[in-house]
Amino acid sequence: MRDFLKSTRFKILLGFLAFLVGIMIYAVTKGGYSVSGASFINTITKPFRAASNGISMKMEGTVDKLSNADKYYEENQKLKKQIGELNAQLTEYDAIKAEVEELRKFVSIKEEHEDYMLSQPCGVLGYVTNDPFKSFTIDKGSADGILVNCPVVTAEGLVGITVEVSEHVSTVRTILSPDLSVAAMASSSSADQGIIEGNVLSSESGQTKLIHVPKKNKLKRGDLMITTGTSGLFPKDYPIGTILDIGFDSNGLSVCADIQPCVDVTRLTSVIVITDFSGKKEEDKDED
Amino acid sequence: MRIRTTREQHIFRFKTALRWIIYYLLIFISFIIMTSGTLYKPVLLVPLAVGIAINNNLYASAVTGAICGFLIDICCGKLFGYNAVVLTVFCIAANLVFELYLKDRFINYIIITAAASFLQCWLDYKFYYQIWGYEHVGRIFRRVSMKIWLYTVISAVFVFLVLKLVNRLLMPREHLTIEEAINTNIQTENRR
Repeated sequence: MRDFLKSTRFKILLGFLAFLVGIMIYAVTKGGYSVSGASFINTITKPFRAASNGISMKMEGTVDKLSNADKYYEENQKLKKQIGELNAQLTEYDAIKAEVEELRKFVSIKEEHEDYMLSQPCGVLGYVTNDPFKSFTIDKGSADGILVNCPVVTAEGLVGITVEVSEHVSTVRTILSPDLSVAAMASSSSADQGIIEGNVLSSESGQTKLIHVPKKNKLKRGDLMITTGTSGLFPKDYPIGTILDIGFDSNGLSVCADIQPCVDVTRLTSVIVITDFSGKKEEDKDED
Repeated sequence: MRIRTTREQHIFRFKTALRWIIYYLLIFISFIIMTSGTLYKPVLLVPLAVGIAINNNLYASAVTGAICGFLIDICCGKLFGYNAVVLTVFCIAANLVFELYLKDRFINYIIITAAASFLQCWLDYKFYYQIWGYEHVGRIFRRVSMKIWLYTVISAVFVFLVLKLVNRLLMPREHLTIEEAINTNIQTENRR
């Protein structure tokens, strides 16, 4: 071993290690944008990853059906019961529907979000390997106008934010991650505000957490939480999730709540990136 | 070392080239498997890199470790170069340990792979979760890191078998082991 430590090949290996550390430091300085080597590999392997992920998802679906047959049977019975209840409510809904259709003449989704600049629909290439917070990669990148820190959504609600962008592939951090905080308020009352932030425990069941809510609030189960838009990272009034349960923080000073996201982030197939919207924080201007 | 004929040299080069092509094909397949699906998966590139390192020369081991590390960084969404540094060190260490102290046996390979994989999972947990002080962060180590480690060790058995097959068919033998030399001498004397 001593001979090895004194040898030329040990020095060469040390030099090689220093080179790798250099690459790592260079990657840090890129601030979220992929190093060209990673970008190249991502581009080359993209079709293989898409094909392999398609096969894998199908296999997982089959295994899921077989292993959870009992669960699905129970769920089926429960759903049948729910259908009965819903049929009873249908009569009431018909009256409301007529009213809503009248309102739709004045307000459409496009008019509601006319300030949004949306990307092309992005396919989910695959989930980041072994990430407990379900980050995933999409098949669009900087070549499609996507930047770091762009909100990622579906029609149902907010999914997350882009954190790493290469030319044709981007990585998305979901709202299950403790590294992503979103200012939120109740859709019924803008006074009830808090922060939606992922949590190790909640992420296991595909949920997230609403924290730092003042003790005096009117929040209740089933309330829809939407974005406040104050940070400039997310557009205002976009749905995030509904309140499942309300309790106190571990310190007892504020209220917290379990949130069921509007979108099941563990089983996504396609998403849309909002590349621009009114009220977006412009980093360059801020830096200036 | 005995002198090789030109034909033997050609065969040697061909086998070496083919072996490395298969190694890198296995690395590519492992990378694709790791990027697919939503379930927790073994980090196949760790046993593969260690398996290649213990049977080849030091520089090739270091480069293979770095490449496997870069691929892990890409599919696991880690800082580009982080796993490359970690795996290069593991591969150099594994190569030296097998060259100086250990024989190329299954049990030795599993022990070294288990140790390397555990260190990789532990470092990953330390730098990517524990250091940030998330609430209930210990659950990630128990429920995610340990699960991945276990899967990796189990998958190492299959990786070993595949590498063993590739090496048996394509690894050119430059010299005899001591046991083989003794056996050859005994056989020669018996014939006389």
